[in-house]
Amino acid sequence: MTATRRPPSTVKTAGDGPRPLGKRIYGFLRSIPTWVLWVLVLVWSIPTIALFVNSFRERDAQRGSGFWNAWQDPANGFDFPTLQNYQEVLFPDVGAGLGNALLNSAAIAIVATVIPVAIAAFAAYAFAWIDFRGREWIFIATVALLAVPTQVSLIPLLSAFSQGVHMTIPIIERTITLIPDANLSGTIPSVWLTHTGFAMPFAIFLLHNYMAGLPRDIFESAYIDGADHFKIFWRLVVPLSVPVLAAFAIFQFLWTWNDYLIALTMIGGSAEALPATVVVASLAGEFGAREHLLTAGAFVITVVPLVVFFFLQRYFVRGVTAGSVKG
Amino acid sequence: MDRVIVTVVGVVATIGFSAIVFIGANKLFDLSENRFAVFNSVLGGVSAAAVFGLLWGNRMLTSPILVTVIAAAIGALTGLGLGVYKSARTRMLIGIGSGAALGLILGATVRSQFWPSIDWLAAVTGLAAGTVIGVLIWVITGRRRSLVPRLMLGLAFGWVIGGWVAADFTATLAEDGTLVSGTTAGSQMEAVLVALVLGLLVGVWVGSFTYPDKVERAEISRASRKYIFLLPALAFVIGTLVIPLARTIWLGFLTGNPTDLQWAGLANYQNLFTDPNMIDFENWTMLFESRLFWGAVVLVILGIALGRWLGRSGGTGLGTGFSLSAGTLSLLAGGVTLLGFSIFVAVRGTLSNNLWWVFSVIIFAVILGLGVAVLADRSKGENIAKSLIFLPMAISFVGASVIWRLMYVPRPPGEPQTGAFNAVWVQIGEWSNDTTATTIIVAILMVVIAGLLYLAWRGRQAGSTAILAGSLVFTLPFFWLIYRFLGPGIGGFVINDAGEVVADPIFFITTAPWNNFWMMVVFIWIQTGFAMVIFSAAIKAVPEELVEAARIDGATESQTFWRVTVPQIFPTIGVVVTTLIVTVLKVFDIPKVMTNGNFDTQVLANEMWERAFTQLNFGLGSAVAVLLFVGVLPVMFFNIRRMQRERLR
Repeated sequence: MTATRRPPSTVKTAGDGPRPLGKRIYGFLRSIPTWVLWVLVLVWSIPTIALFVNSFRERDAQRGSGFWNAWQDPANGFDFPTLQNYQEVLFPDVGAGLGNALLNSAAIAIVATVIPVAIAAFAAYAFAWIDFRGREWIFIATVALLAVPTQVSLIPLLSAFSQGVHMTIPIIERTITLIPDANLSGTIPSVWLTHTGFAMPFAIFLLHNYMAGLPRDIFESAYIDGADHFKIFWRLVVPLSVPVLAAFAIFQFLWTWNDYLIALTMIGGSAEALPATVVVASLAGEFGAREHLLTAGAFVITVVPLVVFFFLQRYFVRGVTAGSVKG
Repeated sequence: MDRVIVTVVGVVATIGFSAIVFIGANKLFDLSENRFAVFNSVLGGVSAAAVFGLLWGNRMLTSPILVTVIAAAIGALTGLGLGVYKSARTRMLIGIGSGAALGLILGATVRSQFWPSIDWLAAVTGLAAGTVIGVLIWVITGRRRSLVPRLMLGLAFGWVIGGWVAADFTATLAEDGTLVSGTTAGSQMEAVLVALVLGLLVGVWVGSFTYPDKVERAEISRASRKYIFLLPALAFVIGTLVIPLARTIWLGFLTGNPTDLQWAGLANYQNLFTDPNMIDFENWTMLFESRLFWGAVVLVILGIALGRWLGRSGGTGLGTGFSLSAGTLSLLAGGVTLLGFSIFVAVRGTLSNNLWWVFSVIIFAVILGLGVAVLADRSKGENIAKSLIFLPMAISFVGASVIWRLMYVPRPPGEPQTGAFNAVWVQIGEWSNDTTATTIIVAILMVVIAGLLYLAWRGRQAGSTAILAGSLVFTLPFFWLIYRFLGPGIGGFVINDAGEVVADPIFFITTAPWNNFWMMVVFIWIQTGFAMVIFSAAIKAVPEELVEAARIDGATESQTFWRVTVPQIFPTIGVVVTTLIVTVLKVFDIPKVMTNGNFDTQVLANEMWERAFTQLNFGLGSAVAVLLFVGVLPVMFFNIRRMQRERLR
């Protein structure tokens, strides 16, 4: 008895004409997509390249010609490439004081990344491996809050930070202070608190997905050995969860570094505490004298996330796709 | 340099402090099992300090620091005692003793304006009500645990209301029935008396807890973990999301400036919806005069026709007689897109702008993302291509707005264009007015058309109607281009009175209504990477066997894609679409940086910001925020249903 062999490929499949012709059409069609892809990639990258090139040109050079003519700058009497934009924009006495703002951005981003990661890791572990009543519902409720837009919380949070939280009982006209005015408005800690709160739903969702997938047996053998939840978490789960913790950390770092709305609202007028995005945005609002600094400033705030992205994109991609793909 | 030091110190201190608090809590409950006394005393001290701290924060105490410290000490001692002595009587004595002590201290140090004047009727009513509440709670919790603690709690609560607070109630009803803010003239004695009774009640409550045995202590240690682990996260979620949400909804019903808010009912919402800046139907009849609209209608009809024609040999996809393929889908998608655009151009206003944002971003980001994912799949340099498309996701919206402003910038005629878009547009204008350039371009276009016609003919020979139809349709724009180059010209130019060709750049950002679209391009540029990455993972996750089976059955690449792959990734498309909706509804940075909502580009997020923080109208701002929330409610429900289906099986 012979095993069935797949029939040789002279069988005509639908959509084929005489073979050579079909093959040629296929081949041609197959190559178009690759060109289209690379043209698209090139076109996609042009804006970033434009910014990069322009940030090294003098102000009048930028005013006078497009970035594709940058190589002609020296011939036209301009200095190219030049670092003067960067100098002006980074140092406080002359330009926009972006150097200071970058420190603020870093302060905001680092704390607003580390703390949510830690808090969410504990919570995700609890949702995954500690059994308690109502676990499913609380989890669903928490993750459903992912969709809530920032705007919805801004006004009350700002009030809470600037005046504290008070409750007035109407009839007897007594006001109880629940949270005293800690003088947090216009400071970076208020931004930390806000970011931490908003990061929770996504963080718990992401970390829980991963932690719930860890194999049961390691937990069981640990229980038998008498370990309690804290030890299991610290010694077993955290080391195993490093990939997803890294993924979320990068995601959160980029999100908080690039954030504009929350910083603008919470810090508002206090100029020394403003992060870089707000400073660059206000630069963008000025037309005229300082326009040339905008390119350097924009590139400076973009370069840190770009670097993080390049070196750690594997983790970042993992963070973005986690939970979105079935199977 | 010292800025750097200050920053570093601040960061390290914050992180360190949080770590210490958290680990401290964990270590504390570790103690409960084997060092119960120590654990209990810490617990006692912290609880007492917390209660008195609350009073301190409300400025109810004289010499608050001292009082809080003493109270904490008493609490710690009580805890220690309760952690050591096991006899019920001793425990009750300890409880009563410390309760009385704390009560006396409270009574002695509470500020004079808080001295109650005891209305015995109210006090007894309070006690009676408290008894009822206590018994009720005991009954509701199934009479499982002892009555006494619950009773005590109820009594304490009732006593506070009746003895302390009720006095205020009566004092605030003046004779003519108007409400007058009460000034109670109490005395120190009454304060001490009330506080003492309160302390005794609470003390009995504390003393009624039995000493937990080994099993119960282990249970305390174990059960406390879930609270320790969850509490910080849930506290943040409730504090920054749930409560502010409720408060914003409440604020939406108020009006006035922040320090003086009054009830306004639905006035804010009425205000919003009757504001022509919010939604403006005035010119909607313009819709039927616009080329966009009729073009869209034509495309949709063509798409349906093509689908029917291709499907007449047995339909698949949308039921009988209709064939879903690349050709029909592109016509339909194109038609629907243009239809939507024509509507959003005719109906203006902030709401319309937001809807337009959602509409465009979903269509373009999904199509482009899917397209790139498919194109890159298994091609050479796939990872590089995907990385470069994904790159803009790392750029902030502010940075991207700056980048694209550079791309869009128009310069006056006579100066060279520095923005890429206008440079190209004006250049095309110059070419179309220059005979040599026109000739060359028309020649190139004719070659392309010839190529497409050849492809169509070959496709017909090969029996692929998709290629035939697609190629023919694709020749149309090129014919139109030839017509424009030879005839009226195309591009950024205008003929001035002297008959000269003068550059006419497009003012992308300031020309309504299409400036909205040019701003959406920025968003699409950023978010397509997101869609692409997810689609790419989804496409790769489609089981090989399905694709193989389709190939063996003789399906072409195109058929395999549309009829096997796409249905498999429907759930993923759903996830991407919902995530994009949530992100785009709150778009703020781009309109704020590029136009600040001027030139007819206002969006809800910016509107809310202006109302709340520039005009200081918290009520109206909150109303806009509530509108935003209503917009994401469907997505929230969708997510909840999805999670329920997955988790509660």
